[in-house]
Amino acid sequence: MGLLTATGIVAGYGAADEILKGVDVRVEPGEIVGIIGPNGAGKSTLLKAIAGLLKPKAGSISLNGQDITGREPRDISRLGLAYVPQEHNIFPSMSVRENLEMGGYVDPKAAKARIEGVFTRFPMLAEKRRHAARTLSGGERQILAMGMALMVEPAVLLLDEPSAGLSPVAAEVLFNAIIQINKEGVSIAMVEQNANEALAISHRAYILVDGKNSRTGPAAALAADPEIRRIFLGG
Amino acid sequence: MEVLQLIVNGLMAGTILAVPAIGLTAIFAVLRFTNFALASHMTIGAFAGFVANVTFGLPAVASLAFAFLIAGLVGVISDELVLKPFRRSGFITTAIGSIALTIALENLVRFIFGNQLRGYDLPIQRDWSFSGIRVSPQQVENFVVAVIVMAMLFAFLAFTRTGKSMRAVADNPMLAAIKGINANVVARLVSFVAMGLAGLGGMLIGLDTTIDPLIGFKTILQIFAAAVVGGLGSIPGAVVGALVVGVGEELSLLVLSPAYRTAVGFIAILIVLTFRPRGILGQRAY
Repeated sequence: MGLLTATGIVAGYGAADEILKGVDVRVEPGEIVGIIGPNGAGKSTLLKAIAGLLKPKAGSISLNGQDITGREPRDISRLGLAYVPQEHNIFPSMSVRENLEMGGYVDPKAAKARIEGVFTRFPMLAEKRRHAARTLSGGERQILAMGMALMVEPAVLLLDEPSAGLSPVAAEVLFNAIIQINKEGVSIAMVEQNANEALAISHRAYILVDGKNSRTGPAAALAADPEIRRIFLGG
Repeated sequence: MEVLQLIVNGLMAGTILAVPAIGLTAIFAVLRFTNFALASHMTIGAFAGFVANVTFGLPAVASLAFAFLIAGLVGVISDELVLKPFRRSGFITTAIGSIALTIALENLVRFIFGNQLRGYDLPIQRDWSFSGIRVSPQQVENFVVAVIVMAMLFAFLAFTRTGKSMRAVADNPMLAAIKGINANVVARLVSFVAMGLAGLGGMLIGLDTTIDPLIGFKTILQIFAAAVVGGLGSIPGAVVGALVVGVGEELSLLVLSPAYRTAVGFIAILIVLTFRPRGILGQRAY
């Protein structure tokens, strides 16, 4: 029984359109789990189903032994799961500080201390606390989005393609931040287009193909597998 | 000197126009449609204020608060019962539904109060004159009320948790839901505040002239013009737009007959949207 367990998830956006056709994933305490696979494999859909934005048609999801299948996003967030969408993951016209406040909306009493915690972790955000979020660079926005997620002190953090569209330098900064957050005890499930990087920082990984589990195992072993190298890692 | 007088008149009128224009733009920012029912809520506010002022003998400022409250409550109820079911069908359907709603509510007011012109019970005061510029004390009082109400609204949006949650929903509704902000509560709140502002604006306009059931309908196009010129969805934009329309209408008297006054708002839309398609302050600035 993992910290987060999803079993046999079937989900999609329309009646006849099933993107996930029975997917299993598990996240243990303290792990970084990478979820990789080709475009359209259903990676982002899986995270949305876990976060409660999409009701699964079949399967079950549990967090800390508690069933969260089909519950509202805000209830799931209160139970300790934070989800960072790939795009549109900040409030652009609000200041950096206000974005963090909204990140901790469900727990206003703790917000003040947690904002200071996020500022200590990411001094860049403290420096730009009064700036409108839309003025941040792509990498800074992803950092802000992660900071907002940390405002609920999650047990599990779901990241949807955090490095998409970032420069190599910005991606490096971001991956280092992810490793750091994980070291402090937050489990992470991360969907990544950049499979090489994802396998490099993950403990375990799942490869999804066409809405089903294809391979799974320790990230290092998957990264070393010649067939996986040929198909997903470009050589 | 005449130009200066017209500018002063325009700024006074524009400041009052800004109050309901903020309502229109706030509803657009959160609920994503232009709510033309704002017109009848101005009328409802004007008549609620009339009841408070003339029937119950309350002073103008207390009557304005009553106008805000009644129009706001009617706004929440009418949105919940009539407009909310339309919203699933999209922007155009809901906007047209709001025109139907405004006709129904306006006629309800007509049914109760009749069609005749009415005036508020106000002390008669002599105009003030400052080196040739004349203003009436009532105009100044209306101006001050409008400025205070807008300052309170800005403070509410900038500093309170509820105000910030409203801005968050306007900014990114999907993320607001993920973060646990209840969109239904925010929708009701924005309806209350926006229609309250419409009611208050309706009474402010009436204080300067007279009221009848058409008071909202006659001004809704100016308000729409103000909101579009400033950038639909932007609250500071609505203020800027209202001042542009107010001053523009007054200055047009230099070259046009008063009958063409209402055209000014649309000429302003034409000019502004040609050069800045999202309005003077753009769509998303709060």
